[in-house]
Amino acid sequence: MNNEEKFTVPAATFAERPEDYELKVQIPGVAKEDVDLHMEGRTLTLKTRSKFQNPAGFKQVAFEFERGNYSMSVDLPEMADPSSLGAKLENGILTVTIGKRPETKPRKIDIL
Amino acid sequence: MNTLMNIDPWGFLDDLLDTGSRTLRTMRARAAGKFPPVNVYLDDTAVIIDMELPGRTAKDVTLSLEPQAVVIADKPTVQVDGTTGAPEDRRPAWSRRLELPFRVDADKANAKFTDGILRIELPKTEANGVRHIEIK
Repeated sequence: MNNEEKFTVPAATFAERPEDYELKVQIPGVAKEDVDLHMEGRTLTLKTRSKFQNPAGFKQVAFEFERGNYSMSVDLPEMADPSSLGAKLENGILTVTIGKRPETKPRKIDIL
Repeated sequence: MNTLMNIDPWGFLDDLLDTGSRTLRTMRARAAGKFPPVNVYLDDTAVIIDMELPGRTAKDVTLSLEPQAVVIADKPTVQVDGTTGAPEDRRPAWSRRLELPFRVDADKANAKFTDGILRIELPKTEANGVRHIEIK
């Protein structure tokens, strides 16, 4: 096997709300500067790199979770507006909010 | 709110691990988020425990130390009016007791949350050292 890096698909939910979409991804142990979030066309891609090292001189005796390299991508629905996107990373949870295209929002039509 | 996608990386385990084995059921419970996973590191002077708690901070967890064990538990949320609701609601959603290979010094213990990971550092007590007894 060549030296390919291993990536984990993080736990995530993607939900539609009346005014926008919200993607919440669990990436514990990842700092802001290690997150690579980008949009290509209508695909939102997330990749993270962990710089974590085991504490120097210590032996690992329990190994229940892996650190850090996460990767996932989401194709945005038709109604999403890729240019209106906000992202926030707090306590290991990345929340990405994507607005909806204005013309797709419900609007009232007045009868003249 | 309309859920369009829900990634549960451990979903496939439900079928695979539907067995009477207690070890496998514990693994599944842990993977399912029934209690948070830990990584533990050891050397001659201390034990370090990392617990994965995305979205949580110090106010969400309680930590207690016994001479040779540490108990990490979920802190029940307090409702808006300052009470914790019915007595049943006050039980922690999860609790983990980790036995340690040596006695630890509570005064020198420290714990810190960083990016959703709780790191607990527990130095060994001096008392673990061999004490020589003088023969009179």
